[in-house]
Amino acid sequence: MRPGEIYLDNCVSSPMAPEVLEAMKPYFSERFWFPGSFVSTGESTNEALSGFQDIVAKSLGAKSSEIHFTSGGTMANNIAIKGIAMAAKRGHVICSVVDYPDLLTNAAWLEKQGFEVSYLSANDKAVIDLKELEAEIRPDTVLFMTTAVNHVVGSIQPLKEIHEILAKAPNKIFFHVDAGQAYGKMPLDVDEYGIDTMAISAHKIHGPQGIGALYQRKGTKLAQLIHGVKRVDNLQTGGLSIALIAGFAKAVELTFDDLDANLKQLRELSDYLYEGLKAKIPHIELNGAEGEGRAPHNVNISIDYIEGEAITMMMDMQGITVATGSACASQGLKANYVLMAIGKNHVQSHGSMKFTLNRYNTKEQLDFTIDRLAGITEELRKRSPLYNALKNQEK
Amino acid sequence: MQYSQKVLDHFMHPHNVGKMEDPDATATEGSPSCGDQVTVYLKVDEEKKVIKDISFLSYGCASNIATASIITDLAKGKSLEEAKKITWRDAMDALDGLPPVKVHCSVLAADTLQTAISNYEIAHGLKEVPDFSKETILEELKKIIYPKVGEDIVSLKMVKYVGFNDGEVLIDLNMMSFDSWRDNVAEEIHEHLEKYPEVKKIEINFP
Repeated sequence: MRPGEIYLDNCVSSPMAPEVLEAMKPYFSERFWFPGSFVSTGESTNEALSGFQDIVAKSLGAKSSEIHFTSGGTMANNIAIKGIAMAAKRGHVICSVVDYPDLLTNAAWLEKQGFEVSYLSANDKAVIDLKELEAEIRPDTVLFMTTAVNHVVGSIQPLKEIHEILAKAPNKIFFHVDAGQAYGKMPLDVDEYGIDTMAISAHKIHGPQGIGALYQRKGTKLAQLIHGVKRVDNLQTGGLSIALIAGFAKAVELTFDDLDANLKQLRELSDYLYEGLKAKIPHIELNGAEGEGRAPHNVNISIDYIEGEAITMMMDMQGITVATGSACASQGLKANYVLMAIGKNHVQSHGSMKFTLNRYNTKEQLDFTIDRLAGITEELRKRSPLYNALKNQEK
Repeated sequence: MQYSQKVLDHFMHPHNVGKMEDPDATATEGSPSCGDQVTVYLKVDEEKKVIKDISFLSYGCASNIATASIITDLAKGKSLEEAKKITWRDAMDALDGLPPVKVHCSVLAADTLQTAISNYEIAHGLKEVPDFSKETILEELKKIIYPKVGEDIVSLKMVKYVGFNDGEVLIDLNMMSFDSWRDNVAEEIHEHLEKYPEVKKIEINFP
């Protein structure tokens, strides 16, 4: 096995589809032009760009003019969150303790700017409590933001119900969604969910790295954060790669042309993986929601009595890339905050393994993964004082 | 972050791993909640006072397993007096170094070995149970690694004051509020001192 031959950490980045690479090539060479007026080179790029906007807009049930290309999901989150807050100048913001770091770090920054932030708790499935949301809404609440699909355990937030609550508030509360993990993993209709702004990125759906988009509902005022010459977009000014945008659009087409089939395939693969793990490895448990409550590409389990960094390193030596919530594998030596917030203990967090699948993964790859993980678990448990103590008790 | 080849070798193929039946002494340090725990088992030649056999169990990351493995190699066949001189720096050197955030694994391995030897000596009347004092606290603080640089907080002169009075430990630490490792170091101090029944309360002050 070569390093990363079986890549099961696709929530970070997924392999680029071959069609995407082909779609980008002309824009790296003969069609390198930025948009422009009154010259055929610039006009042809205008036209191409408009087509790419159409493709992304269609995937969200949005209008073409509501799509801004950005250099990625994080940039889109920043432009939206800071843009809404700075336009409001002051007020109250709501998010939750299990949100993606993009949202939490922006929330912390907003607090420093004088905004008040309420952090909703989450239940044991990492889903927010709607009653708590209702209770936190204030006359000066300007923004509610959420991570549509949790980046750790894959749970889906109740977007429709959230929208209904926000819509009932006497004041306008902007609804921002980070859809980094949700885009291409569930249908996302901006009108159905009443979303005002939403961040998506290309490289999580087999597109190129370094490009994403922001959906901005018509009429949603965002303060200008990035000043400079408008080349491609008026919010993220300056240059943006047309080639990457072309690749993004192709990835969107490939994902959304038959979204149902894509979702079904991912769900089948992740069910296959989870069932296989359960059958082959004793003392494991699923973290997060079961069935339809979780995105179809995410399986997060805790393997009792052993530690995740050791597991991921041994898996890596077998050519399998997976992620863990162990403190030992984190830069700050801290257990994963999402798992801790949903009531898991340190041992469950340290022993957690996150598998996120892509549509090129095969059942043969998953069989190999299950087999190797079973062997590694057995080996590490032999070395574990916790597992030996359990065996002693059983005697 | 990169591990040395020696760390990887000991992680993949640890020496002296496994539970020992009828050990002469044993010790367990660390805790699952902190993400690492090591147990060391000893068999000691009572007459020669030599470590005849040694083994370990480890719940933890790759460096936890590797440092426990190397510490058993270093101690095996040594007299108790020689083994008592083995430090976490010896373990780290024998592994061709560790990343700074992983140095605490080496401390845990060495600490567990030393506690096992101490337990043997107490059980065989070779030494008294040591009294708890300010010295004990200082010794424990020397085992706490500042993960940013991989050195202990006493050598780094981060400990400004240590007090112990009526079960209450008072420590002044020179760590700034923006230091992202402050919580981690404070947690480690609690973990190291709370195992002593003499300690009822720990107060850590920062500038």
